[in-house]
Amino acid sequence: MASGPWWRIGWRNLGRNRRRTLITAAGLAFGYLAVVVLIGLMDGLTAEMIESGTGVLSGQLQVHDLEYRPERKIYDTIGGRDGTDVDRLVREIAADPVVEAAAPRVFAGGLVSSGESTVAGILMGVDPELEPRVSRLMSGMVRGRAPMAGTNEILIGSEMARQLEVDVGDEIILVAPAADGSMGNDLYTVSGVYQSGMAELDASYAVVPIGSLQILVALDPGRIHEIAASATDPWLAPEAADRLTASLSPLGLDVEVAPWTELRPEMLDYAQLADGWRFIVIFIVFAIAIFGVANTMLMATYERRRELAVMLALGTTPFSIVRSVLSEALALGILSLAFGAAITFPVMFWFHNAPPDLSWLYGDYTIFGALIRPRLRVEYHFAMALWTGVALLITALLASLYPAARAARVPPADTLSGL
Amino acid sequence: MHRTCTLSLVLALFSAPTLARGQESASEIIDRVDRIMRGESSHGIATMDVVTENWDRSMTMEIWSLGTDYSLIRITAPNKEAGTATLKAVDDIWNYLPRVDRTIKIPASLMMGAWMGSHFTNDDLVKESRLIEDYDIEISFEGEREGVEVWEFVLTPKPEAAVVWGRITYEVRKDDLMPTWARYYDEDDTLVRTLTFSDYRVMGGRLVPAAMDLYPEDKPGERTSVRYSEIDFDIEIDEGFFSLRSLRSRR
Repeated sequence: MASGPWWRIGWRNLGRNRRRTLITAAGLAFGYLAVVVLIGLMDGLTAEMIESGTGVLSGQLQVHDLEYRPERKIYDTIGGRDGTDVDRLVREIAADPVVEAAAPRVFAGGLVSSGESTVAGILMGVDPELEPRVSRLMSGMVRGRAPMAGTNEILIGSEMARQLEVDVGDEIILVAPAADGSMGNDLYTVSGVYQSGMAELDASYAVVPIGSLQILVALDPGRIHEIAASATDPWLAPEAADRLTASLSPLGLDVEVAPWTELRPEMLDYAQLADGWRFIVIFIVFAIAIFGVANTMLMATYERRRELAVMLALGTTPFSIVRSVLSEALALGILSLAFGAAITFPVMFWFHNAPPDLSWLYGDYTIFGALIRPRLRVEYHFAMALWTGVALLITALLASLYPAARAARVPPADTLSGL
Repeated sequence: MHRTCTLSLVLALFSAPTLARGQESASEIIDRVDRIMRGESSHGIATMDVVTENWDRSMTMEIWSLGTDYSLIRITAPNKEAGTATLKAVDDIWNYLPRVDRTIKIPASLMMGAWMGSHFTNDDLVKESRLIEDYDIEISFEGEREGVEVWEFVLTPKPEAAVVWGRITYEVRKDDLMPTWARYYDEDDTLVRTLTFSDYRVMGGRLVPAAMDLYPEDKPGERTSVRYSEIDFDIEIDEGFFSLRSLRSRR
């Protein structure tokens, strides 16, 4: 098609009515822009959801005793009753190339009380040094500071602080059923108040230094429930989990390494659904564009029917006419694609590096318990940009099939005689 | 037409009083059982053994009660828990924690939480005395079981009652009004736990079951057993005793 005179004829026919060509090319170019940016925004939303859903609390990877999930009993610590060498295990996990940082955690359910008010809380014992590298819970502080290791200090959520009517510096009582059957209880001082934006978290999670929680619930220092880890790329977490499962098995600890895709399957489902939607977006946008292109090509061939009649009268085969029209369509497609890419990539670059903030329009919202900031964040997806370009060219060709067929069937004698 | 009307009227006249009496007497029996077990007031010493999959422990406690509204339980052993006390006043429960010298009130939302790590809940302390108020009681069986004449009662919650059980069945010996067991079912009519009474003996001038064992259905092998070593009834005690101050001060 690109060889011979037909390609040149097609290309030059575009210049016959430049304004019309430009308008049609602009239509396709904006279709390209719409598809690439929409897909980018969908990917951006998915990425935001995964980052927020795993980054605030859970981390992208978690290591537990095999028995721990889903009941999360206080007795099911890593390494069983005897516990484990926590520092060594944390180091082993942090050594994985995908793992950014790892931090140990102890959990207990208990009562948090102050004065007349008592609420049920999830007490989370963390290493104040390591934890901020894994989750953002401790960095979401609105008042005060993080609890310090070796003290009875506690960081509580803003909603819990409101319910208990306490603030930084106030004293609260923790009561928790301990692993030996006794009722652990002790006084703590509120060192800080955090706000994650997720109401259920802000109302129920209280963070204390890991050692102090172990004393409260009668667990030895070697007994922890979880090691959470952050990954350099959330999508690499599943393979890191497989790698860690293999590398930790010689320790004989009976642990499971679960990536976020296993801990939060609903988020994975959503991400996969969003992937499927990409092609639906391409289909919808180009299905609309195809009629515009078809219309233009129909016009362009109709006004040239005398010319086509002459060509046919001079012995051009109908198939060559089809080739010339399709060449014209392909040339239009390539022009549109160049135009589209020229307007799309600056927008993508802008939205990716400095996402427009829509918080003046919407507040934060949550999907599957993950906090989403109202920003037009896009993620690059070069394969999809390529596929969209292919879809654009196919659209231009498909749209020209009918006009080309009609052009090839122009009756030369009738047309030239002015009928 | 006239005849059927008369007939149903006659039937109604005959059946209604019988039904009413059956209902009344079932509640009356439960009420009497309750009064024997409780007295106007009481003071006793008991040990509680809790056996779970993960640990066993034993606690000794001193218990005071007044009517159905007030009770005070103070742990006396082991040392780690000694002084820990629970006050129940009408619908409220407070726990005193000697280690931090603070009292905390258990909120309504946590009434189903375990009491002192046992299989009893805070709700049991509040609701144990309310069977007659909260449940419609009927006799479902009357006759001999294992050589003993017994009644079996079915307690179904009254529509307006805020209770956690869907149904309770309760067996009482006819001759001495001693309870033998109670079974607690949830709203899906699944057996959740069984409470058995045993070791009937005379303490404080009355025949009482000195031993109670609670078996949760979902945790086979686990139990909480309460054994009274002594108990006195109708002692000199007033509402002032059941205050937050006495909860904290008497160690």
